[in-house]
Amino acid sequence: MVKTKYILVGVLVVIIGIAVVFYFFPNEEKKVMKQFNFLSEWVAKSQDEAPFTMLQKIKNIGTLFDEHCELKAPSQSLSGSYARQEISTYAGSARSYFSQLDLKFYDFHIVFPEKGIANVTLTARLTGRSTAGEQVDETRELECVLKKIENKWLFSSIEIVEVLKR
Amino acid sequence: MEPTYRNGGVNFCWRLKIFFSEPKRYDVVTVRFAGSKVMLLKRVVARESEQVEFRNGKLFIDGQKIEEPYVRYPCNWNLPPRRVEKDYIYVVGDNRSMPIDNHYFGQTSKKRIIGVPLW
Repeated sequence: MVKTKYILVGVLVVIIGIAVVFYFFPNEEKKVMKQFNFLSEWVAKSQDEAPFTMLQKIKNIGTLFDEHCELKAPSQSLSGSYARQEISTYAGSARSYFSQLDLKFYDFHIVFPEKGIANVTLTARLTGRSTAGEQVDETRELECVLKKIENKWLFSSIEIVEVLKR
Repeated sequence: MEPTYRNGGVNFCWRLKIFFSEPKRYDVVTVRFAGSKVMLLKRVVARESEQVEFRNGKLFIDGQKIEEPYVRYPCNWNLPPRRVEKDYIYVVGDNRSMPIDNHYFGQTSKKRIIGVPLW
């Protein structure tokens, strides 16, 4: 009976240990996905967003990007290399068109072609309402490259996949 | 794809169909638009190396006017001629009542075609 008790306690300790390791030392895949979660959180906008929150979010968005990030969005006439500050400014002006905004990411496919580089293919869905009251619901496939710089995964390229070319 | 397929309707994708034969003109196909879940239903109007053009809502392939009985709503699209690239097919929806800029259509890689609707 005592032996069974020790075994149960041992198993419990091992399970807790594994959980702690997974929680405090997430693998690289989870760290990459976390950056997308942050992007989603900071792009999101509620109708009653306070000006301070807005400024903080715009500033935070910039921290997710490499010093220079390649953006390719042919349908939005957005193409080229943008500095971190430019991306923050662009994000701020894009958010101002919306009274409410929500960005969600799905279907992650992450590969690490070499150390410190992550290629991510995923689905992005942007929903919300413009300040003019127009409903927005856009879904696109994205190809992103993130680089690990000073132990942080930063976006260095984001491309909207052009599935249908006119 | 209205009126051929109702918006928000449910269908199944028959994937084996494209294993045995390539999609032909007028076939309705399922295009993988994003990830593994977001699909579009579109009609094949041209195959690789063919030239596609719209003049006053009428479809022209290699300069020849194509009859499209499935297009029921008025359409006034104009699109200059363009050639379909190798390993691509040109797809358009049946509902062309909206302005051309609001419609998802164009050439897509054959790899993106995953099947045909079951009914």
